[in-house]
Amino acid sequence: MDLLDAHLIPAVDGVAFGLLLFVVAAGLSLAFGTAGVLNLSHGTLYAIGAYTGAELSDGTWGGLALGLAAGTAAACVAGAGLSAATAPLARRGHLAQALLTFGLALIGGDLLIQLFGADELPVRVPEALDSSVMLLGHRYPAYRLCFIVMAVLLAAFGTWVLTRTRMGAAVRAAADDPQMLAATGRNPRAVHTGVLAAAGALAGAAGVLGAPIIGPGPGTSENVLMLSLVVVVLGGLRSLWATFFAAVAVGEVQTLGVSLVPDLAPYLLFAAMAAVLVLRSRFAEPATAHGPEGPAPDPVARLRGHLAGRLRRRPRGTPGTAEAAKASGTAEAPGTAGASGADRAAETAGTDRAGAAPRGYGNRVPKWIGRLPGGTAWRQAAPLLVLLVVLISLPALLDAYSISLAGSALALGLLAVSVTILTGYAGLPTLGQTAPFAVGAYATANLADAGWTVGPVQIVLSALAAAVFSAVVGPAVIRARGTTVLMITLAIGELTGAVVNQLKSVTGGADGLVGFPATRALWGGEGMLEESELYNYALVVAVVAVSVTLLVLRSPAGKLLTGTRGAEARMRASGHPVGRYLLVAHICAGALAGVGGSLMVTVQQYLSPADVGFEIAAFALLAVVIGGTTSVIGALLGAGLIVATRDWVAGSWPGHGPLLLGVLFVATVYVLPRGLAGLRGGNDGGNGRSSGAPAPEDRPPSAPAPNPAGKVSP
Amino acid sequence: MLELTGLTAGYHGGTVLHGLDLSVTAGTVHAVVGHNGAGKTTLVHTVAGLMRPSAGTVRLDGREVTGQPAHRIARAGIGLVPQGRRVFAGLTVDEHLRLSYRPPRRGDTERPSVWTPARVTELLPRLGERRGNRGADLSGGEQQMLALARALLGSPRVLLLDEPTEGLAPVLVRQVHELVATLAAEGIAVLLVSPSPAQAVESAGALTVLTSGRTTLRMDGAEARADDTALHAALELAPTAV
Repeated sequence: MDLLDAHLIPAVDGVAFGLLLFVVAAGLSLAFGTAGVLNLSHGTLYAIGAYTGAELSDGTWGGLALGLAAGTAAACVAGAGLSAATAPLARRGHLAQALLTFGLALIGGDLLIQLFGADELPVRVPEALDSSVMLLGHRYPAYRLCFIVMAVLLAAFGTWVLTRTRMGAAVRAAADDPQMLAATGRNPRAVHTGVLAAAGALAGAAGVLGAPIIGPGPGTSENVLMLSLVVVVLGGLRSLWATFFAAVAVGEVQTLGVSLVPDLAPYLLFAAMAAVLVLRSRFAEPATAHGPEGPAPDPVARLRGHLAGRLRRRPRGTPGTAEAAKASGTAEAPGTAGASGADRAAETAGTDRAGAAPRGYGNRVPKWIGRLPGGTAWRQAAPLLVLLVVLISLPALLDAYSISLAGSALALGLLAVSVTILTGYAGLPTLGQTAPFAVGAYATANLADAGWTVGPVQIVLSALAAAVFSAVVGPAVIRARGTTVLMITLAIGELTGAVVNQLKSVTGGADGLVGFPATRALWGGEGMLEESELYNYALVVAVVAVSVTLLVLRSPAGKLLTGTRGAEARMRASGHPVGRYLLVAHICAGALAGVGGSLMVTVQQYLSPADVGFEIAAFALLAVVIGGTTSVIGALLGAGLIVATRDWVAGSWPGHGPLLLGVLFVATVYVLPRGLAGLRGGNDGGNGRSSGAPAPEDRPPSAPAPNPAGKVSP
Repeated sequence: MLELTGLTAGYHGGTVLHGLDLSVTAGTVHAVVGHNGAGKTTLVHTVAGLMRPSAGTVRLDGREVTGQPAHRIARAGIGLVPQGRRVFAGLTVDEHLRLSYRPPRRGDTERPSVWTPARVTELLPRLGERRGNRGADLSGGEQQMLALARALLGSPRVLLLDEPTEGLAPVLVRQVHELVATLAAEGIAVLLVSPSPAQAVESAGALTVLTSGRTTLRMDGAEARADDTALHAALELAPTAV
């Protein structure tokens, strides 16, 4: 009884907190479950409501009502806007939409700070509620009790609409089969807009009413988003009741958990989330297909390739991917009058010849020509070599600050490459590679502290530590597919973050680590302190790591991974132990991330929890998407672009880094549907001079192509 | 009533329908027969607006609806009973009926007859018995009835039936065809797609054999019932049949 008595207040607080989370998470779940939008800006919608409510709250009922109306309306409009923004991306799967909404969240967060300032706003509740009531012998704030009632009413109303009305039936039907909903005469697009607007309104209302519980401030959006993501993951998307219980459970963990076991509280939440996800993936049906993040058809890129093909008559060198060769080979088939002229052009352009000839002459040229040095292999390596030359010459071109930024970019680049391996090759879109990155980083910092300052030793040991870590968490990751991977890895990343914050003896907690001895490049050398020295060291390490990665990815091992991503069921049926491949890939990617973490510590010479936080994970994923998910060089360039945007461009416009990054996110999603590599890929697709209809993609490459008429024999 | 001229449609990588001409008169059943891959479902999806034709027109009572979004076409009076039923798994029968029912608007006199949930359950009493059950919990025959009810509740002038007897017991197949005949008698124009001529021929007023997206035979329903050799010949010659 004493125990109950002591923890009564936190328990009731937990109910209030849980109900708040339920209202917010119900909107998130609605948007994801029925409109298919993984809305990472949902927390921002809450913040819009909270700021509006706080701004209009003046201690009267009228102020609360006005705030409720204005906040709900504002968030509702924002939600409808989100619907318009995400609708064009519907065919591109959850990853593109998630990145877009994350970018919008960054922009929205910046705008909110511009409007309302960077401080937390005070919230005034109506005077009648600004008192305490007696609750089983304890004093308890009246507003919270009132909030519990209001939240229950709100939740009940939402549930009633969804389950008892025609509108709700239409929403559920849209989630099930939007085409058939359209066939009954309802516009699925209108349902999409309505759902996101309703989700926004829910979040906005929760923000206004919940402002006294989770107040408006710079961290509000992320905090609310994380908690409601956890609720959605725990509750699943199937039933509102499950979401409800998950929300109350999370609320209790955050309040009762803290008062019962203060030491463990930071881990409880994400540990529970990880456990549930792992259990669910273990007992659910084995995933046979990858999610829509896989190699989905991309109409925009196809159109662009098609247009490029129409515009260009002259053949260009091809980077010689199997697909490009296939596409050009089939496109060649109907080639007629234009072909001979183009062939002559190819012959005169001597440098182009080796690459262009096999295509120009169809299947009449022996295959060995394609394998000659100076052919496709060199052409493919050319961008890497150019990048390498630029990177080597950087210290001569930039000032010290920019060089140290370039060093950080290399470290982030390695992280991005490791995400590429998982997202692009293994088909596991990950938000959790910051975890092995953190392991590598803290390993290096601690090694340096213990006097192990030799660079190669630090790198190898950090990579080993990160690999061991990845081997341990790997089984939880590789069983899931698609969006579930995003969520599991997110949980792993957040758990690692929680550990980093708690394990002060190793990590320095929130203060981070600083003042450890500088790394020596080799045995017997001096500690590196100069920026250019550090940069050169980072460059050498990065070049070695990227080279090894490229060699592995181009080897049969890489092909096995690609096959697993493309047709997992067939790989299994052919006797390949798919799970083992994925685990090995996960361990290798982890080791690479560990190397990246080690580099970052060496270059920065300090380490804080923010360096391994969620934002970095999102950046790495964005870098990969900028690069085009399967392009290693693209990932490196993407990382460079992000660091440049965050630290360099933003330096000239202080305080607006998030805004610029948000714009970068949004622009990437819209403008580069296949990333930087897509630009190249789009040109490749256009290489075959399409003198007729676009080539059918499913034609086997070995199909005998009729010899084009009017062709000059060599 | 429904008139298709030069309808051409396909997916990325190939054209499936090659300039199809076809018309269905009110009160009759036009059966389209063809093997797997002949383009039957593509035809139905194109008419219903689930995919856009690359050429050709779809006219409903002389009004062109080509390329309009699916919900517009549905509202214009084309009802779809898709292949595989595609009932909403999580919605109860009652919710299906309420969701699909479109009361007539004032001035809308073009519909042959108005279908209300009450009238539909009168026609399909089994649905009335299972009002509270979810779509996923129904048997195949019941799902087929539900899919038909869903299309009827829009009070369509044209009904597209895509393999409505697929996977049903013989006794149910008979029932479905009787239903189709009843509906046609109400004045609805029915486009019935079927892989097997035996079933299609019974109620059809006209018959089209589709082979690789092209019409290879068109004949009167009564003729086909009298002598089906031509029909069978057309289907056996179909090169897509493997």
